[in-house]
Amino acid sequence: MTVVETLLVFVVAPLAVILIFWALVYLPGGRRRKLRYKPGQAWEHEPVWYEPHPAGGAGGGHGTGPAAVPGSGTSALGSSMYPEQRPELEAGDGQARAAGATAVGAGGQAVVGGPLGGARGTW
Amino acid sequence: MTGSLEVTSHDTATNAGTLPTRDEEPDGPPIFSDRELARLDEALTMSSRETGLRFTLYIGDLGPQTRSYAEELFARSGDHLADSCLLAISPGQRVIEVVTGAGAARRLPDRACALAVLSMTNAFAGGDLVGGIVNGLRQLSDQAGHPRGLHTH
Repeated sequence: MTVVETLLVFVVAPLAVILIFWALVYLPGGRRRKLRYKPGQAWEHEPVWYEPHPAGGAGGGHGTGPAAVPGSGTSALGSSMYPEQRPELEAGDGQARAAGATAVGAGGQAVVGGPLGGARGTW
Repeated sequence: MTGSLEVTSHDTATNAGTLPTRDEEPDGPPIFSDRELARLDEALTMSSRETGLRFTLYIGDLGPQTRSYAEELFARSGDHLADSCLLAISPGQRVIEVVTGAGAARRLPDRACALAVLSMTNAFAGGDLVGGIVNGLRQLSDQAGHPRGLHTH
């Protein structure tokens, strides 16, 4: 076994194996990027509203009017796979929200079908 | 010459004044992966079909008054408000609000909602948003049960 063969077998071949594994692990596309939420980090996504699929031909037959975020004039999509589409916001988010709140107050839409129950939690 | 052509071709953007189509991703990074979206979708749909209640899920900022804002959202969440249940989650504020309508509150008492909220906040504190939501929905729909007159499958 010549020196070249020795080097090939004991240096180059292990290095090649190591390089292959390194590329599989760290190169982009080799590992799925995690979109992970960490508690305490800021949440700078658009608000999203998910609805259930309307029951096709079910006897219950809830007439599912679209859900809507106040102040943005948008409505949720029934397929619940995509976030709501919002038109061009001409004002800031806070302004839009304030306008929506005042509009609700002026409209006097306070009664929403009886007393509301529920719960609240923080983490 | 090719440079000017390129400039003009970029100027004819089709989505200048139109709404984005549903195929386009909204700006910013996606919140959930496709797999997680499918889990959420199935959890929402199946719990709603199983119980006859209408579960909706809001993820976003809830403002300074989270409870009143969640109730305001609930008032706009559809037509059959009495049989609706809204899960409003604000990960930035670390708050979850569950709002139930009058009819839904008979089958989902506040204590059951609090228990589901507790399990959800446990998962959220560990960083598992989707798992917490799916488990919370499962817990809520188990509590609400299947009404006898409902034939969905």
